[in-house]
Amino acid sequence: MRIPDTLWSIGCVWMRYYSAFMKSLLYYLLTTFLEPIFYLLSFGLGVGALVGNITTEGMHMSYRSFIFSGIIAQTVLFQGFFEGSYGAFVRMYYQKIFQAIAITPITLSEVLWGELLWDATKATVAAEVVGLIGVGTGDFTPHCLLTLLPVCFLSAFLFSAMGLATAGFSRSIDELAYPQYLLVFPMFLFCGVFYPIESLPDVLQKVAWFFPLTSVISLVRTLTLGMPFEPQAVPLLLVWLVVLVAVARRSMFKRLVK
Amino acid sequence: MNPSSDPLQVVHLSKRYKSRTGSEVEAVSDISFSVALGECFGLLGPNGAGKSTTIQCISGFYPASGGEVFVDGHNVHTQPKQARRVLGVCNQDETLDSDFKVLDQLILHATYFRIPKPEAKKRAGELLERFGLGEKSGENIENLSGGMKRRLQVARALISQPCVLVLDEPTTGLDPDVRRMLWEVLVQSRSEGVAILLCTHYMEEAERLCDRVAILHQGKILDVDSPEKLIAKHINRDEVEEEVRPGVIWKRKPNLEDVYLKLTGSRLGVEGL
Repeated sequence: MRIPDTLWSIGCVWMRYYSAFMKSLLYYLLTTFLEPIFYLLSFGLGVGALVGNITTEGMHMSYRSFIFSGIIAQTVLFQGFFEGSYGAFVRMYYQKIFQAIAITPITLSEVLWGELLWDATKATVAAEVVGLIGVGTGDFTPHCLLTLLPVCFLSAFLFSAMGLATAGFSRSIDELAYPQYLLVFPMFLFCGVFYPIESLPDVLQKVAWFFPLTSVISLVRTLTLGMPFEPQAVPLLLVWLVVLVAVARRSMFKRLVK
Repeated sequence: MNPSSDPLQVVHLSKRYKSRTGSEVEAVSDISFSVALGECFGLLGPNGAGKSTTIQCISGFYPASGGEVFVDGHNVHTQPKQARRVLGVCNQDETLDSDFKVLDQLILHATYFRIPKPEAKKRAGELLERFGLGEKSGENIENLSGGMKRRLQVARALISQPCVLVLDEPTTGLDPDVRRMLWEVLVQSRSEGVAILLCTHYMEEAERLCDRVAILHQGKILDVDSPEKLIAKHINRDEVEEEVRPGVIWKRKPNLEDVYLKLTGSRLGVEGL
């Protein structure tokens, strides 16, 4: 059976990234997996041992479990955003890969879907590796890895789109730092990776819920630790996803096509 | 489907876009030409004449503001996949995929055209030999010289065995020997029936390789014909005089550069135009 053209083309772009990944496996393994593992060791084992247990939303748990689940979400954010922003900027601006592929039977639209799909895949795998370590340390049950998969993938797609939009709007590689410092790091610090956002003043809690990472963290903690489900998390996540994917694609088309 | 048999047809193509400052730029203005099988057609003009924009419209990467482009009868904007299956493009910018070695580069590019891997390997090996890059097949791209990269990029454009080959300034900045090698490849491709669109600002290259030439200036085609006919029509002299430096005058045969200068209203010290 012949695979439909568009699906095949997107798959072809994904395979190009996968082949490049496999050619520099050691480099990519180090840059993809070491960072979340360092966070796990530092905050999970180090700070976790200092804090011991915490009680949040009526649930008692070890701080290590709490932080492990937060780092799953943080991994999705960092891996998705940085691959979508710096990775895509290098591919577009320096390597001109998008331009080279998009004059073959694969269209620019398909190249961009393939880019997002790859960025999301890589971030999802990194997050699942963190989850796997959590299973190994007894903080999560093995079936969590499966239930986490759709949430990690959708949020990875979202943050990859955020990165790609950044690449599309940035005139130079230095400009990628603006959303990195004004959006990504504040999300990392204020959306509940390290502490329950209930500890923040009411106004800041509302601000935190505006940012997509809070929804992702909430869903990850529901699935891994059984914390209460926040109903607003899913629609917020989906709205961000749709908006950011549209913005990312539009910005890249505007950037590349006159 | 366009009824004409020419594999590349550009019909009343226009391209306007907004510049960074917000002003409207008409880079290509109502140009029409076609390239037949086994013909080398030159698009001749200086930087900024609209050559690269024309190529981006022909490849379907830029949408046209007006007019149509047909490749093998397929409209590149409404049927991009069908059109690009038979189109090989070598851009002016270096667009080699630096994550892949020389041979893998060609094989990878062939997969974008759905060419099975064994066939892609065979074609890639043949092309590398033809372009004198056989010994470099396992090299990383960054280890290649500028001339080798350029050859590889042209080889990559041929991996799909296109019936239309579009080359944007393929020899700019190359040593004379590499330039001659590329010329030989183009002559061979033309003799194999490939329709070639060659964009260049080298008048000698156009005169030497092209069956017909379009003089492009500020997005408009000023005239189209064979180099000999263009020279006869616009210069109509056996000899022109040129002051190459103060007090030194050379007499020489007229060439396409003289035609270009005359058509665009430039003189640059050439007498008798």
